[in-house]
Amino acid sequence: MEAVEEEFLAEREHVQIIPNFSHDKLYLIAGDVGPFVAGIPCSVPLWLAVNLRQRGKCRLLPPAWMEAEALAAKKEEEMQTKVFTKMGSENYMAVAQLLLTTAPHDVPNAHLVRTLIKDIWDLRIAKLRSSVAEFIKQSGRHARLHHLTPMELHSVRPILPSALDQLLRLGAAASGAHNVSLNDSSMA
Amino acid sequence: MANFYTSYYPNYFSVEDILASQDRVPCKFEVTVKGLGYLDASSGNEDILPGSKIELPCWMARPLCSSKRLPIVSAQLPVNYRERYREILSADACVVDLQKLGPHFYELGLHLLPITSAPDRPRLAALLTQVLRDRLRPIMDDAQHCSADETSQKIAKLDRLEIRLFRGGQESVRDRERWLDRTAHLLSMAPLLAASNARHKRKRQDS
Repeated sequence: MEAVEEEFLAEREHVQIIPNFSHDKLYLIAGDVGPFVAGIPCSVPLWLAVNLRQRGKCRLLPPAWMEAEALAAKKEEEMQTKVFTKMGSENYMAVAQLLLTTAPHDVPNAHLVRTLIKDIWDLRIAKLRSSVAEFIKQSGRHARLHHLTPMELHSVRPILPSALDQLLRLGAAASGAHNVSLNDSSMA
Repeated sequence: MANFYTSYYPNYFSVEDILASQDRVPCKFEVTVKGLGYLDASSGNEDILPGSKIELPCWMARPLCSSKRLPIVSAQLPVNYRERYREILSADACVVDLQKLGPHFYELGLHLLPITSAPDRPRLAALLTQVLRDRLRPIMDDAQHCSADETSQKIAKLDRLEIRLFRGGQESVRDRERWLDRTAHLLSMAPLLAASNARHKRKRQDS
């Protein structure tokens, strides 16, 4: 799966907007949206929010987890523990990326938010890398990681599964060789 | 992107597999073979005499030494898989130049398993797994972090199989970078097409 596909899936997440127009309810396949009343916040899917914002028809309200203080606290928490912490949103990278590129002026402290998100991402990727290395070194069969987001999985996607495939293939040859040698010795 | 997801399994048409089984294995002939003396030009005989040593490709050595009746040749492991190199590999696999030792170290190793002596077989197989396991961490880290210019230097010491993994890792990083730059949606010309266009242009200028 490519990053753009992850983004596409993340666009279904709902965000708050303040429309500057009034309109009846919209009946969409994924669910009904609206009604829109000018100046009253309402919840819409991210893709619609981005579209409306690009046409200048609304103002975006960034989600609570995207505020600078919340992110700083999250970063501190992420640094303190060795395991992954639960993020405010499953798709925090994609949502932040979309909101910050389409409407940097709607996000307070956009610069700080961007840096914090990047810091959190780096921390989590470092954790992921060290746990993957540990997993391979101990030749584990399965591992369970809580609170890992799709975009983080994407970063290890082609290389980790194919590396494990190759290890499995060599390992199968090893166990096969062992069996054959047992048979040989029993025949001798 | 699609081909990074396919894992490799030995199959008849796999180019990697064909190339790997091309590598030479030292063999000692056990019987006289009439009329094939030209394979060993230095001997000057018309026939291959028992006891003469010739290097045969792996795909040929396997059926010749494992024939049900009298084996025609007895094969030995290539020097890279013998005790001395095994000690080097188990000491620190990360610093070994597998490009020089292989470059199909793992593939050939799998092909060599049937002609290895029975007690040695599990050890060789375990060695292959261990070497790949030890080398994976630096490969993964490099794939995620090195820039395009450093790539050729980083993959200089890797086996073909490792290079495939490395490329896969790099592809996902490039993909995410493109997404972060908001350039993922831009279509670009396929490299093959660009090359052929350039050729046409040159031709037109020449004429």
